[in-house]
Amino acid sequence: MLRSHWRASLFAALPRFAERGLLTLVLIAVTTLVLSPLRSDLNTPIIALLYLIPVGLSTTLGGLTLGILASLLAFLGFNFFFIRPYYTLLVHQTQDLLVLVVFLVVAVTVSQLLGRVQASLRAAEARERETTSLYELSAALTGLRSEAAIAQTLAERLIEITRAQAVEIVFQGGAGYAGRALLLPSGVQHPSAPPEAVLPLMTARGRFGEIRLWRAGLELLAGEQRLLATFAGQGALALEHALLSQAETQARILAESDRLKTALLSSVSHELRTPLATMKAAISSLRSGEVDWAAPAREDLLAVVEEDLDHLNRLVGNLLDMSRIEAGALKPQRAWLSLAEVAGGTLMRMRRASEQHRLVVNISDDLPLVPADYVQLDQVFTNLISNALKYAPGGSTITLSAWTLGGERVQVQVKNQGPAVPVEHLDHIFDKFYRVTAADRVTGTGLGLSICKGIVEAHGGRIWAENLPDGLAFNFTLPLTWAGAQPPRLPPEPEALS
Amino acid sequence: MTAPGPHILVIDDEPQILRALRTILLEKKFRVTTASRGEEGLTLAAANLPDLIVLDLGLPDMSGIEVCGRLRAWTEVPIIILSVKDSEQDKVDALDKGADDYLTKPFGIEEFLARIRVALRHRVQSQGGHETVITAGPLSIDLVRHVVTREGAEVKLTATEFNLLAYLSANAGRVLTHKTILTHVWGEPEADQVEYLRVYMRQLRKKLEANPSQPAYLLTEPGVGYRFMADE
Repeated sequence: MLRSHWRASLFAALPRFAERGLLTLVLIAVTTLVLSPLRSDLNTPIIALLYLIPVGLSTTLGGLTLGILASLLAFLGFNFFFIRPYYTLLVHQTQDLLVLVVFLVVAVTVSQLLGRVQASLRAAEARERETTSLYELSAALTGLRSEAAIAQTLAERLIEITRAQAVEIVFQGGAGYAGRALLLPSGVQHPSAPPEAVLPLMTARGRFGEIRLWRAGLELLAGEQRLLATFAGQGALALEHALLSQAETQARILAESDRLKTALLSSVSHELRTPLATMKAAISSLRSGEVDWAAPAREDLLAVVEEDLDHLNRLVGNLLDMSRIEAGALKPQRAWLSLAEVAGGTLMRMRRASEQHRLVVNISDDLPLVPADYVQLDQVFTNLISNALKYAPGGSTITLSAWTLGGERVQVQVKNQGPAVPVEHLDHIFDKFYRVTAADRVTGTGLGLSICKGIVEAHGGRIWAENLPDGLAFNFTLPLTWAGAQPPRLPPEPEALS
Repeated sequence: MTAPGPHILVIDDEPQILRALRTILLEKKFRVTTASRGEEGLTLAAANLPDLIVLDLGLPDMSGIEVCGRLRAWTEVPIIILSVKDSEQDKVDALDKGADDYLTKPFGIEEFLARIRVALRHRVQSQGGHETVITAGPLSIDLVRHVVTREGAEVKLTATEFNLLAYLSANAGRVLTHKTILTHVWGEPEADQVEYLRVYMRQLRKKLEANPSQPAYLLTEPGVGYRFMADE
């Protein structure tokens, strides 16, 4: 593995080196050519000094190795062309020998110094690149809250920086994400060869997973290894952060739902027990045989039982609806409905409960059909009317009306002549368990209106309450289109009479 | 002992419901058989055909809709369905399969008995040869002569209006789903055009009902279909 890597990087680096070596050779040759006509005019130390120029240039271009190579070439050229006897490497005069030795020492020293400066400059540049890419990574990871998004970002950056052929992020731990893996770039075949690098994603809670990186057999250099390790560290940190924030959200949701359940239980246990107690008392006294009940009294007791039963039935229905809304399981089964028909059906069912009030329906048969769930829309009417019956004084009028809003929505209003609701409560009366009146004065779970809100919103509508000069009105809107479809047009007056 | 009353088969898996319905029906002089499973109910019905079947939709061994379909394969015995609020679609499916009427639990016993009376009467009518003239209050519908009168005066109806009224009144007392009516009156391809049906029903009510917005004979079964109420 290691040997093949060296060979690979050697082959990759070789042409570059040969190229620069050639350049060095050319530089020395040019210097020699330029200086040779001046051989008789210049003395040897000057020529030696001038030969330092190509050595310095080569070092700057190619680093220490080339500098040494240039020094040696310059030494040979100098000796061959400028030291008597010419065109041999022989040296006769001691002075010339000294010049040559000094030249070689100076040339090598110069290239070493220059080479070191070059190397540290390149290192500084590399470090700057590293810092930049790390900064970019951490900026990209900031705010990511899901494992998938973090893995995606991490892999994209890694491919960009290491020019990797493929990067895979494998999750081995972590809630609900273990066993999953992400391979980028998308659509790439999973490489069959072992990866060039494997980096663990370590968090404070242990190994979270690992990064696998393929680069067509090209091993990572030490600097790249270091950078990758830092990347993995950053990634692990982001993952840990995401996990913590998920856990926190989960805990908050649980706490909220727990609070709701407690409120529901305390509200419901009272609401359930009261009618049960009444019914038990009424039925057991009727059956006891100790009292010979007069017919009217018996009738009265039984009426109480039936009323309480109806109440219990409504209560259970409300609880089921609410739990369905809470669970997000309220999916309207839409059909094209006539509002007049739905409201008519609701009133028919509620005719006994509404005997004390006057109900007026101003919903035209000619309104466009509405795409809605029959049962749920009926529930909205039922709850709004029950609410009105509960709060408006007996003998008062409850009015149901509906009209279109610009051909795109229909607005429905259920108006009663009950007392106004203080403005600060208006927005909250659709909240669960919210009551304007003290709980012991009016029966109910405090769920009816929030069920209406849940249903209307599931249909893409809006619900609100407003005080009118002569009472309180509940309004809701429903869209007239469904998945882009307009209400079916009613056929024109069918078949003219003969 | 007086002559035994009509025989009713109740199929429901809730023992308390069976107990209560049996007591009430026996008190009202009906003969009662009960079954707590679909298969058992089908066997009992085949062995001794009742005059009416009360069928709960939620049975442990098979759906009420299936029981309905298997009964309708060989008998026209009236079927009243018991459903709960959550099984709205099942209820419509069962009515499409030929059930006559439905009640949503919990229901009042008076309503229950009234539905049984209507269903039994419908059965007597369809057994005793088809009646050709149906009356409902001031209305009289002559199915053979195609003549409709209201308080003795003839009411002009278009062909489609008459076909619709004839189908509804021939099935007086039964709940007819939108789909059933559309299929019978308009034919299969129109079975989704509920709005056509609405328009024609509105026309009929305008011509026949004293107060079209509170009909007494052409009743809406909200979300399900329509029902024609003939005289007792």
